[in-house]
Amino acid sequence: MSLQAGWPLRPGAALALAAVFALAAAARPAAAAEPEAGTGPAAGAEADQAPLTVALTGKYPPFSFYDENGELAGFDVDVSRAVAGRLGRRLEIVATEWDGILAGLLSGKYDAIIGSMAITPERARQVDFSEPYYVSGAQLFVRRSDRGDLDGIAACAGRPVGVGLGETYEHYLRREHPEVEAVTYKSTVDIFQDMENDRLSGFITDKLVGAWQVKSAGRDFVPAGKLLFEERIGIPVRKDRPELLAGINAALADMQASGERDRLFEKWFGLARRRPTGMSAATVVRLLLRGFGITIGVAVASLAIGFVLAIPLGMVLNRGRGAGCRAVRAFVDFVRGTPVLIQLLFVYFGAPQVGVTLSPIASAVLTLSVSAAAYMSEIVRSGLMSVDHGQELAARALGLSGRQTFRLVVWPQAFRVAMPPLINAVVALTKDTALISVISVGEVVREAQSIISVTFQPIQYYLIVAGMFFVFTFPLMKLAGRVEARMKERGFVHD
Amino acid sequence: MIEVTGLSHAYGDGTEALRDVNVVFPRGTISAVLGESGSGKTTLLMALGRFLRVPHGRISYDETDLNDVPEAELRRKIGVVFQKLYLFPHLTVLENLALAMVHAQGRPRKEAEAAALDMLERLGIRATAESYPVRLSGGQAQRAAIARGLLLRPDYMLLDEPTSALDANTTDEFAAWLGELRSDTNFIIVTHDVLFARKVAEMGVYLSGGTVAARGPIEEIIRNVRAGRVVGEPAS
Repeated sequence: MSLQAGWPLRPGAALALAAVFALAAAARPAAAAEPEAGTGPAAGAEADQAPLTVALTGKYPPFSFYDENGELAGFDVDVSRAVAGRLGRRLEIVATEWDGILAGLLSGKYDAIIGSMAITPERARQVDFSEPYYVSGAQLFVRRSDRGDLDGIAACAGRPVGVGLGETYEHYLRREHPEVEAVTYKSTVDIFQDMENDRLSGFITDKLVGAWQVKSAGRDFVPAGKLLFEERIGIPVRKDRPELLAGINAALADMQASGERDRLFEKWFGLARRRPTGMSAATVVRLLLRGFGITIGVAVASLAIGFVLAIPLGMVLNRGRGAGCRAVRAFVDFVRGTPVLIQLLFVYFGAPQVGVTLSPIASAVLTLSVSAAAYMSEIVRSGLMSVDHGQELAARALGLSGRQTFRLVVWPQAFRVAMPPLINAVVALTKDTALISVISVGEVVREAQSIISVTFQPIQYYLIVAGMFFVFTFPLMKLAGRVEARMKERGFVHD
Repeated sequence: MIEVTGLSHAYGDGTEALRDVNVVFPRGTISAVLGESGSGKTTLLMALGRFLRVPHGRISYDETDLNDVPEAELRRKIGVVFQKLYLFPHLTVLENLALAMVHAQGRPRKEAEAAALDMLERLGIRATAESYPVRLSGGQAQRAAIARGLLLRPDYMLLDEPTSALDANTTDEFAAWLGELRSDTNFIIVTHDVLFARKVAEMGVYLSGGTVAARGPIEEIIRNVRAGRVVGEPAS
């Protein structure tokens, strides 16, 4: 179903599985990108169809979020089920970041986005939207205590107002109210936190979502003024998928006619709606441990691949001249000189453009392996350089072959010298795995964000995640120190 | 027998290290290559060990051109102990000694280690077997390095400035046990230390400015050196 649910990784098994996954996923055909034979309701009866893959963030309650049991739930999730059911296709939900959600659709990572995306002319140039499946609007919220002064957007001139990054509200504010200082955030949780921190005078969000979130988080924020504008929410698909679009429209029309849409709306927004949800401690622990298992699995797989690559690269670098050395040098410099975050996004969104659709985990392992190889090859090179050329001469004089000389004499010494900096690189690269949440890998940071989106306790959960990383990295740092001390004892002098 | 004929060598920067060197190292004697620093001694040693390709002249090993001797055979026949010894710091003394016996000569590890321990015993440093090289004194390290070479049973053994790390007492001690080892191999000792050479070697060659200034029995060379007949003699 969702990414997270689709990977039954337990922390223990995650180590081994992550590596296997990276390979398996790399070889997996891009199911999401396969053109469907016919997606209209007529074809709906056929079994064995490719699943309908639908993207949403999983962090937008009550439209999409993880419920007490860690299962995806919400209005958008229910709509997705209803649409897939009417299309006669199995539903596969991809939980992904809002930032890249359109790019993911365009690169064929999924068939459609059922994630409360407003229909705008800009977006409609890139994708085709279905008919709207609900209508909401942009609402300014302020602290209850400020309600008297800040009675509408006009009163917020010169004041900081929070909006979601890349959301319609940001564009609206910049266009219609440039006098208001727009501050962009990746999630409402962060906005709430900065409302508490007094960094914001107010925030703009969806009327329905905002009211729900304010109540869930137990904050004293109230709507101020009228709706800023109305938004029609649709389902985007790629422009080259007209049959799919027609199928979705037919499904939506049927939901409307049968009254199912209204029932779902009542379920999530009606007066009789459920009490806002929290998350049980057991679920929190399960999600965090599963996420950390993936974190460690990705780290271990990437580091192992990176290290194996770093040895020959470091040897070539150590040669110090020649075309091969210049090429490796250019590669290493480029990788080390560019942000891993950009590399991740480049691989994840760029690879499908050249016909290779990688799963998020495979993209993460690929990127981090390359990054690890670049950093570690530099360390391997300096390790090799620290070995006196005379060691090689002496080994050859004793009749060892070139290969034996490297394996038995040069490498063991280089490796010992390289050990402490290698361990430090392991620590640094393990921390880099926190970045892979941006390409929707369900590692620990992303799991924490999901938890935070329903518990509204960012500080607490980010602290826990920091602690989890620290528990893993601290012994490594200690080990690096100990290895270094032993090296000095053994007289590995590097001049 | 090792025979050097018309050997010349210049380094990349044009410095002439050796010019028309002719010398013979017969079996059954300890030979010394003498000379001040910069006289070309070490260059000659590197050429004899084929760590240096010399374009001019010829080195023959038992009548065969050194360049035609297969690498494996060459390393089995001619051992080298460099001035800096280059014991492997990541291995214990015992492991240092056994490494090439096991990996280059394919001898069983047990047998190799037994031979290594025997050799350490003979050289009086058995107690260092499990130590790492960093723990050894200059004299112990010197013995360990020579033991490592001797265990491969080379026909010739080149030693580069073996006394450079030793004080006067250990130098005498070293000279004494080198004499005891002479039945194992044919030593060619490169040294600037004339007194040491006199204690251990019978035959010698004196290099000056890259050319042979004197050759023959060691006593004769030393007399010439003392008389100033060879020191600083300009290359002809």
